[in-house]
Amino acid sequence: MLAIDATSVTKLYKGSSRPALDNVSLQVESGKVFTLLGRNGAGKTTFVRMCATQLAPTSGTIKVLGYDIIRQPGEIRNLVSVVPQEGRPLRALTPWDHVYNWLQIRGESRQTAREKTESMLRKLELYDARDRPAMNLSGGMKQKVLVAMAMAADAQLLFLDEPTIGLDPVSRRQVWSAINEWKGKGQSVLLTTHYMDEAEMLSDYIVIIDKGKIIAQGTIQELRKVIPHNMRVDISADGTDLESLQPYGSVVDTGTGMLRVFTFESSARELSEFAIKRNLSFNVSPVTLDDVFVYLVGRPIDKGDLAE
Amino acid sequence: MAQLSRYSMVPLRQAFLIAYVTGILWLRRNPVSLIFTAISPFSLLFVLIVISNGQYIDFAVAGSLVMALVGYGLALGQDISFYKTEYKIQDIFVASPVSPLTYMMGLALSELLFGLPALVVLASFVVVLGAGIAGIPLLIATILLIWGSMSAMGFFLSSHMLHMRNATQVISFVNVILAVLPPVFYAVERVPDVLKPLVYALPTTHASLMLQNLMGEPTPAEWSLGFGFAVQVAYLIGFVALAKTKALWREN
Repeated sequence: MLAIDATSVTKLYKGSSRPALDNVSLQVESGKVFTLLGRNGAGKTTFVRMCATQLAPTSGTIKVLGYDIIRQPGEIRNLVSVVPQEGRPLRALTPWDHVYNWLQIRGESRQTAREKTESMLRKLELYDARDRPAMNLSGGMKQKVLVAMAMAADAQLLFLDEPTIGLDPVSRRQVWSAINEWKGKGQSVLLTTHYMDEAEMLSDYIVIIDKGKIIAQGTIQELRKVIPHNMRVDISADGTDLESLQPYGSVVDTGTGMLRVFTFESSARELSEFAIKRNLSFNVSPVTLDDVFVYLVGRPIDKGDLAE
Repeated sequence: MAQLSRYSMVPLRQAFLIAYVTGILWLRRNPVSLIFTAISPFSLLFVLIVISNGQYIDFAVAGSLVMALVGYGLALGQDISFYKTEYKIQDIFVASPVSPLTYMMGLALSELLFGLPALVVLASFVVVLGAGIAGIPLLIATILLIWGSMSAMGFFLSSHMLHMRNATQVISFVNVILAVLPPVFYAVERVPDVLKPLVYALPTTHASLMLQNLMGEPTPAEWSLGFGFAVQVAYLIGFVALAKTKALWREN
């Protein structure tokens, strides 16, 4: 069964001339982590909010777990949970208050709510801070409280809209681990993120979205094939120039003092020798999702994209 | 049957849990906030009693009680806007098995909790000033009717507000229309005849008249307790229906 089946979905907000989503169709398989990747205003959050029955589309149809978002929102709401973008826990309440009571509100018995709360707080390393009011938690811990609420609900489909924004690397990995465990139980996740490593680490399938349109989709391996080369060599621009590197592959000036050459393994080896002879700093790596994104969208995700 | 009964209890349990989280737990951690909400309804009461040398105490008590209830109901609207725009909590509730009316009821109960000390004191004044023990059921009914209809209206209004500031402005305006201009703190006889149909169209006029009646104040010949009660019930049904059908739960 499909977790999400969207057909020709368009969303035009009042007062806006450009659609936030423009005739988008996509299918999300159950039991997978499905990631929407894109810059600010690409339309990721709009799509998630529509699937989560929080926002109505202007046209098109979306079925979530087999139910229509307009005609059967009640059925969907019993089966999903969300981490909204830029959400915050209530200041005076503790992580335990949030998760335990939220589970009871969703219909769990006290005993089950207690067990699930303890397990989730331990998993996200919030247990030691379980009785600390949210106002005294760090930004990352606050975000983890919302993730804990959503994940503890054990819904069939989880919507995570930028769930690791503001988290330190260790906390991000805790959330990733919880998501992977979730996936292992056969439940589905629709994730939006700006972080390429997060998308690479978690996703079974990635949709790259820009200006309301899908510009590419596939598994990470499929997306990497969008670029005709499989290796990337970054060489210091101080001591060489674009023209002298062009015989080795496609060269891009990153604007950071490094020239990026997309090439193959054999040329990457030659380029390394070229750099060593000239005493230039260099770095060799396989083509990443980041490269694919830049190749398709024409510009990288930067700090300004931290929130849509 | 047992299944049906269990099913119908779910929204009630959810509402009480929401009230527990946003009311009791909040107050337990922030008991000082109770002082502010408890004191504010007494400001006009104090002024009117001092100015009139106690002569208008019945009007002052009736007006303060109605105004407090309008305030708690409309404050729900502000809370909802706050939870929606600042915390995004409403987004979490929308995508969950909680219905909009359950969410509204939970937050309305929580508001009532914050106002409970002031309500108990003001209601006690009504009892002492003439309602007596026999008048308590009608007093409670009046309180619940006006609180219910104002909460539903607050929910409806706030659901259409995209920004906290809009919600605050609209709610302040509605507060003036419902609790200051109509004869809530003064006798309805003071209203020019031409405006009387207008003030009788407001639920707060009837709530105040019912309280004045309970305290033994004379009420207009054209008004009766039954009429006031019927108008209030009609408003409650109307506003709850409005909240159920027209409040924006899923955004457009």
